[in-house]
Amino acid sequence: MSAILDLLPPLPALFGQILIGLINGSFYAMLSLGLAVIFGLLNIVNFAHGAQYMLGGLCAYILLKYFGVGYWPALLIAPVVVGAFGVLLERLFLRPLYRLDHLYGMLLTFGVALVMEGLVRNQYGSTGNPYPEPPSLAGAWNLGFMYLPVYRAWVIIASLGVCLATWYVIERTRLGAYLRAATENPKLTRAFGINVPRMVMLTYGGGVALAALAGVMAAPIYQVTAQMGSEIIIVVFAVVVIGGMGSIIGAIVSGFVLGLVEGLTKVFYPEASTTVVFIIMAIVLLVRPAGLFGAATRTTAAGESHATAASGLRLSPPTVRNVTIALIATGVLAPWVVYPVFLMKVLCFALFACAFNLLLGYVGLLSFGHAAFYGGASYITAHAVKMWGFDPLLGILAGVLAAGILGLVFGWLAIRRQGIYFAMITLALAQMVYFSAVQAEFTHNDEGIQAVPRGHLLGLVDLGNALNMYYFVFAVFLLGFWLIHRIIDSPFGGVLKAVRENEPRAISLGYDTDHYKLVAFVLSALLSGMAGALDALVFQLASLTNVHWTMSGHAILMTILGGVGTLAGPIVGALIVAGMENYLATLGAWVTVIDGAIFIVCVMMFRRGIVGEAAVLLRKVRLKRKTEPVLAPSTKGATS
Amino acid sequence: MPDADVLDVRDLCAWYGDSQSLHGASFNVRQGEVVTLLGRNGAGKTTTLRAIMGIVERRSGSVCYDGRECIALSSDRIARAGIAYCPEERGIYASLDVEENLLLPPVVAPGGMTISEIYELFPNLQERRRSQGSKLSGGEQQMLAIARILRTGAKLLLLDEPTEGLAPIIVELIGRVIQNLKARGLTILLVEQNARFAATVADRHYIIENGRVADMIAAQEFDERSEKLSAYLGV
Repeated sequence: MSAILDLLPPLPALFGQILIGLINGSFYAMLSLGLAVIFGLLNIVNFAHGAQYMLGGLCAYILLKYFGVGYWPALLIAPVVVGAFGVLLERLFLRPLYRLDHLYGMLLTFGVALVMEGLVRNQYGSTGNPYPEPPSLAGAWNLGFMYLPVYRAWVIIASLGVCLATWYVIERTRLGAYLRAATENPKLTRAFGINVPRMVMLTYGGGVALAALAGVMAAPIYQVTAQMGSEIIIVVFAVVVIGGMGSIIGAIVSGFVLGLVEGLTKVFYPEASTTVVFIIMAIVLLVRPAGLFGAATRTTAAGESHATAASGLRLSPPTVRNVTIALIATGVLAPWVVYPVFLMKVLCFALFACAFNLLLGYVGLLSFGHAAFYGGASYITAHAVKMWGFDPLLGILAGVLAAGILGLVFGWLAIRRQGIYFAMITLALAQMVYFSAVQAEFTHNDEGIQAVPRGHLLGLVDLGNALNMYYFVFAVFLLGFWLIHRIIDSPFGGVLKAVRENEPRAISLGYDTDHYKLVAFVLSALLSGMAGALDALVFQLASLTNVHWTMSGHAILMTILGGVGTLAGPIVGALIVAGMENYLATLGAWVTVIDGAIFIVCVMMFRRGIVGEAAVLLRKVRLKRKTEPVLAPSTKGATS
Repeated sequence: MPDADVLDVRDLCAWYGDSQSLHGASFNVRQGEVVTLLGRNGAGKTTTLRAIMGIVERRSGSVCYDGRECIALSSDRIARAGIAYCPEERGIYASLDVEENLLLPPVVAPGGMTISEIYELFPNLQERRRSQGSKLSGGEQQMLAIARILRTGAKLLLLDEPTEGLAPIIVELIGRVIQNLKARGLTILLVEQNARFAATVADRHYIIENGRVADMIAAQEFDERSEKLSAYLGV
């Protein structure tokens, strides 16, 4: 690596990295191809794609270890097994969701990914399980300027072959014509006598099998780990955004090219190698929001018009005053009953979830990148307080501002796209922040910023005292909660809700909806940053956990579990999620499994969340009590 | 049985979401007939075809095709039973070329036209067989939309406003095609706004009003009842 000092790296290093880049590119291409096909027909972003890739590798590993079945049979068996699992998943879980917003499909597959990753981590640990190269492909060729391992050459050629074969089937055969027709107009295609539901099921299975095949091919190179899927899938999302979802050939080309670019970056500027794909994504979004190959109108038409996550979820919250009074009373009394540090964690999470809910529940934007604001702010606050000796209030302010700036950049880029694209873009951008945190000096990598002093509030109140700290956190939380409430109730909030319900109509009424969305996004980022800054002071620690994508997942989980678009929902969700993290910590990876299972249950059965369902129940009970047949009290009256 | 009912529709209701747009339409189509559904915009003509085809959200009543109850079947099963549908918006797939569009609907029964017979009927399509569906003119799209369902061997064709927005010369061509199909023994249920065109091709006309059948006019009474007809259709 010292070769970077010279401008030109030695050739073997260059070719070595090109090779690694092509290998990575092979997997990007195969995975983004599967994602694109599934997206085209099912209109969902298959978040479980990474986990299914991992299952493919795992399947090969199990076949070899327990059954003595080698690489070549595994190349066939693993995709069939995992593909069959995909078929089952589509039939039982995804199919009932098609009539709903497409974001639900994404959330469901996210839950499935968590469950699978958790289960595998539980069983096989998170260290790698080595898988040997097949003996027939052992060794390397001496090309004169470098050694080319035979297996790696095979991976590149085989995946290229698989990609081209898939392209051929889709673009040049009768079956492919059915697929394209069903992608474009499923209803009419069905009315011609083609069994579209069965085709959807098999297509999902096929896309999943493709991921599993990639997983088997990856096993000898990367080893088999539980998290190999989630590591690669976010990059693949970025690849897909760059290529444009509609195009098969676009998915293949951008997969290989971006792998190559990543490899070359490792040679010339290794610091950026983990983030280069995300940077390219940001640039592409600025120049060609539809993606490099994304000219196809069908995907933009199908994918873009479904941004309203919360429409139909909206519920009248019980009167705001009652909630507020109950909240304050509980908050004041709670530390005398429950361990204050746990309560502070709940409050941090609750504020985070409320900030997230402002975006999902009231603007209909699903961000998968809020960890960047939470974790980013916690780093800045921790650093400012510890290294620069900031007063706690100033430290929090610094964190909040940092989150706001990040939010401005994220929002500015992400609002160019809608719905699932918005989700993928925010996820990719947040991953960029995560990798930056891994590399930056001041974040101290795995150790994080430790022993952050809580300091004295305004130089008077010692926050080292747990109760003092608690009431401070509580006060900040109330401030944030009140702000969110004010925003939602303001005329500005009214426009946000209009955007959620029907963006084209809001535009036709003369609102610059992008502007409103951006402001809402920044507000949500600021408030998330406030939560993250508090977190750093409470735990006296800022670590990678807070910027990891799982933290974004937490924000979504808390909001959905509690009730999207309800005032108290995120708080209830935060209580449960923080409680689980605290009291189930000994269960290890099971917590991930439970998180995922909650996602699945919520998406399948409780789309209104706990508070939402409770409100409906309450309304029904009240309605029953009234003897005269009055129509349900209009939601409008109750919200205002 | 030349006079047997091919299609018998009883009390057909259909809903889009919460709003009901068909309120118990009843009519029948006999073997080898060309029957039109006439009516004002929004009367429920297109919905009637869609409900027969099973592509509305919810429907009730009875749709008997060839003596077989179809009301509970999914639209792919209905198509396979032998009903073919040509939608108002034509539904040409932009991502498929002309020939792919033509070959898309699966053959459901023997006796359909061959590709060369279809090209004989629509020479334009042969010239453009490698063009993407998105590149066709309106007239070509309409020809393709009709041509597409002739290969399948379906005995009952549902055509939704095949003349809408087309040049007179193309309308004439479509009229000849419909005569030709009738001569081949196909049964056709046609939705039309253009009553004059309908009169040139149809054996009987049903007037649809507010989601119900308001009246039936046989071809021979068409002229004597034209005043009544304009009362139905006039604005």
